[in-house]
Amino acid sequence: MSLLGFFQWCESSGIGEAIRKSAWLFPMIEAIHLLGLGVIGGAVLVIDLRLLGLGLRRQSVAQLTREAQPWLVGSLFLMIITGGLLFLSEAIKCYYHGAFWFKMSCLLLAIVFTFTVQRKVIMDDETRIRPVWGKVVALVSVALWAGVGIGGRWIGFS
Amino acid sequence: MESRPIRIWCVTLLPALVLALCYFLTAPSQAPLYMAQNAVEAEPGLLQTASLSASAPARPVIFRNATPLSATLLQEYDGGVGQGYLLNLFRRMADSSWSVGLHESRYAYDLIESVHVWALCLFFGLAVMFDFRLLGWTMRDVPVSEVARRLLPWTAVGFVIMVISGTLLFSAIPLRSYQNIFFRTKMIMLMFAGINVWIFHSGIYRRVTHWDLDRVPPKAAKAAGVLSLVLWVCIVLSGRMIAYNWFDCDRQPQPAIVNLLTSCVPRPAQAEH
Repeated sequence: MSLLGFFQWCESSGIGEAIRKSAWLFPMIEAIHLLGLGVIGGAVLVIDLRLLGLGLRRQSVAQLTREAQPWLVGSLFLMIITGGLLFLSEAIKCYYHGAFWFKMSCLLLAIVFTFTVQRKVIMDDETRIRPVWGKVVALVSVALWAGVGIGGRWIGFS
Repeated sequence: MESRPIRIWCVTLLPALVLALCYFLTAPSQAPLYMAQNAVEAEPGLLQTASLSASAPARPVIFRNATPLSATLLQEYDGGVGQGYLLNLFRRMADSSWSVGLHESRYAYDLIESVHVWALCLFFGLAVMFDFRLLGWTMRDVPVSEVARRLLPWTAVGFVIMVISGTLLFSAIPLRSYQNIFFRTKMIMLMFAGINVWIFHSGIYRRVTHWDLDRVPPKAAKAAGVLSLVLWVCIVLSGRMIAYNWFDCDRQPQPAIVNLLTSCVPRPAQAEH
């Protein structure tokens, strides 16, 4: 099955159809999706502001990451579920929408980056990693997640 | 430490208060049926305009049932019914070149809305993390006052950006937003959220030294956290819903309560042909 074929199959699925038919479902799912974005933003910022030395400073990055990561992962799951539902309802539109592909690229990079490079920098002994790398990592992470947010918003603009 | 709560209080409460006051001042006033701005949006041929200005992903289903109003009909209603001061103000605002330019521009509106969403992550995200700390759900080993001191300034920055970008968004579609039930709900709840911030900072937070290190803060602080979470979640939800026109004035018949809350005066029966 081609990629477009897969998208067409998603669009014609029963769930997608049900969401399209209802006046309320799409907005409600979208609103929950937006709340999830907010929580991800908070969790990401707690960690990245610490790496930049602009947020909480007395705690180690590793400690803050242990605290904030569960919220990041939890709302990421929420977003993937709600986002998947939204996608099912308008898969064809997404296929032809540049913002969708931009968002998915950013999302993939952001997830991979957060759980590999960033995790390695954070979990390593802080004295071994030069602070400048922490800052670079934080900036990259913020930029990637911001790309996910804005990409998502622009899927809605035609 | 004493000045910051005051500043947060000002930043949060004042805009909310002003807007809420506006609402109460004008709620009982009789509004004309609907405005040129929306009549244009509801015109079937102009879906492109509609999708830009209504800020919704223009789903056909929304516009299918909208009654397009002819320009002559609007003329009829323009002068007749008693109008609120704010309504006139926002109508003038909607007619201004600034407002028209903003909602007709290809990118300005979308860009401002993107900034609004980014600032939401900054403001709402960090405010939620602070509320979670008040509930003892995260960062239990970090003193509450430290979380407040290091994170709340960022929420203040986020809030200022939210207010500025939100005002710009409002100025692009003032009349429709003003008569939008979700917009009004959002403003009222914004006021309550501001009051909650004020009560928290002038009440239990003054004694923070007594419970700074508590892994789970006392009941009063938890209550403030829960209230703040509920209010901000509802504010985000209603903010997102402003884009949908289910309860807009040009979609009659609506239940009387909806027309009351949006200060709409439905079209008299004889006007229906």
